[in-house]
Amino acid sequence: MTKRLVQGNEAVLLGAVKAGATYFAGYPISPSSEILAQASVYAAQHPEFRFLQEEDEIASANAIMGGSLAGAKSFTATSGPGFSLMQEAIGYGHKVGIPCVIVNVMRVGPATGMPTMPGQGDLNQTRYGSTGDYTSIVFYPSSVAECYEYTIQAFNAAEESRSPVILLSDAFLGHLNEVADLDAIDVPIVPRTLEPLASGGTRLFSGVATYPDGEPATADADEFIRQYHESRAQRVEVAERYAFYEYGWNKDAETLVIAFGITRRIAQPLAPHFALFRPIRIWPTLDKELTEIAARYKKIIVIEGSDGQYANVVERMLFRRVERVPLLGGRMSLEAIREGLAEIGMLPAEPTPSGSASPARVG
Amino acid sequence: MAVKDKLKTDLFPTIWCPGCGIGLIMQQLATVMDELGLDKTNTVIVTGIGCTGRMGAYMNFESVYTLHGRTLPVAEAIKMVRPELNVLVVSGDGDLASIGGNHLLHSIRRNPNVTVLCNNNEIYGLTGGQTGPTTPQGTSTISSPAGATYTPINLQGVVNTNPNAYYAKTTVYHQGPMRKAIREAIAWPGFAFVDIASQCIENNGRRIGFASANDMLQHYRTEYKTAPPGSKHLEPHQLGIVKGEPATVAGSAGPAQGAGE
Repeated sequence: MTKRLVQGNEAVLLGAVKAGATYFAGYPISPSSEILAQASVYAAQHPEFRFLQEEDEIASANAIMGGSLAGAKSFTATSGPGFSLMQEAIGYGHKVGIPCVIVNVMRVGPATGMPTMPGQGDLNQTRYGSTGDYTSIVFYPSSVAECYEYTIQAFNAAEESRSPVILLSDAFLGHLNEVADLDAIDVPIVPRTLEPLASGGTRLFSGVATYPDGEPATADADEFIRQYHESRAQRVEVAERYAFYEYGWNKDAETLVIAFGITRRIAQPLAPHFALFRPIRIWPTLDKELTEIAARYKKIIVIEGSDGQYANVVERMLFRRVERVPLLGGRMSLEAIREGLAEIGMLPAEPTPSGSASPARVG
Repeated sequence: MAVKDKLKTDLFPTIWCPGCGIGLIMQQLATVMDELGLDKTNTVIVTGIGCTGRMGAYMNFESVYTLHGRTLPVAEAIKMVRPELNVLVVSGDGDLASIGGNHLLHSIRRNPNVTVLCNNNEIYGLTGGQTGPTTPQGTSTISSPAGATYTPINLQGVVNTNPNAYYAKTTVYHQGPMRKAIREAIAWPGFAFVDIASQCIENNGRRIGFASANDMLQHYRTEYKTAPPGSKHLEPHQLGIVKGEPATVAGSAGPAQGAGE
């Protein structure tokens, strides 16, 4: 295929199809609804692709667990409030070990919030949203082409880790139209890893703590700890193979800007003045990579669409103070970034050029 | 094959209290599965949370032990991805009709070819005996000491909002009718719901005046009467089956392998 104009949400659906997804269940919510609508169109044209518009996001998230156990690579797409409703099922998927992908096209919360201004306030929810301890793998692209690429990677990581993997997007990115040649993006596809239901065994896929024979292990700390460490180690090991980030801009600058998703695109005109670290794998955090890079810079500024969710993570990771530019209430613009930089006395003296916003691709 | 091959007897005795009705449902289900040739290559069991949810763990099938209330979205997805499988949901009234009520409402509307067995003991047994969605008005429970306040949910009415659905009411005492209902429900081409009155002596029966599980079974024996053949509506304490028009085309409906009949 040649280059064409593609929307961020459309690229997610195309990436899912490319990854081999054959089951989608979802509930309409802006700004993610194009994924649902286009999945329904795709299903109508491809009978092997199953689609169900559910009664709510609780059903959607549980349905993709069932679809995946039955043998289909399965996914859903939503935004903040729907993502909140999915949290219990996400915990179930972690407990049972179910590969699937949940796309969260973020808007401003909490609650119904500001439909549908862009936000980045669901980072903590992707990590800590369900009850108990579990290990999330989360990716956050920042271009339409990357929406396609990292959707495929999310399915791959889900298969390898046997866990629900979250793909983050946001209202701007989801609705962004960019020229892209998606066929030129070549990501090897990880085949299914979970033996489908009714394969002749007698497995029990249980959200309740159980022993391998299915008997309850609800009062056995040793067994719980053994299973927990096993799944944690396995997911951390898989995540290591998906350590995606971008390090670039002016690497000789004194200050490192950390920005991700659409914020990194908005901040592009600052490129001459700062070095950039962009985590694509949001969780588990890129401790080794960021620790090494951050050591080269006198100051660190985290620019993000929340009141410091990622900045807090960076401070704890590096044991050093970072500057913050929170972009709140959907005010995700270069002007808002400049104002935020001015407030902390970090606005570059030179007027920043307002050039192209295309990201440099750095591995 | 024999009935006991359907069960993981090495895990017996079960976790259920002495006198519980769930084992009677499991026994009849296993019998019907044996008759119809349901085995671990053509059938999946989906259970919810509550005492009934343990049933999947005791049967020689692959089983999904879902979150509380979420059997139907999971079961429907399995059936959609694998239409050749028999998908059986086994759960309690609280799981299906209260926390899972919205899914029940919408699954019925979509008419998936899944079979639901509802262990209807009119109480939240596992948590100690709180009022459930099917608890009769006036019943004393640990969360309604002065008697349950509200009208119980009308499961028959909810199921029959789908003109293509199958609804049967039976009790654990009436094993022949229960077996017949389970058999027909599995073979039904669409949504089928078997509403099985069942005793919870430990966390309900004794509180409401029954001395033993056997007293509760005798109560079912004397109170429940068979509805006249062809009834389109069952009165309270009537045993019977209300069949809609079998769907000729339904989303994921259609006969499954091994379902016999």
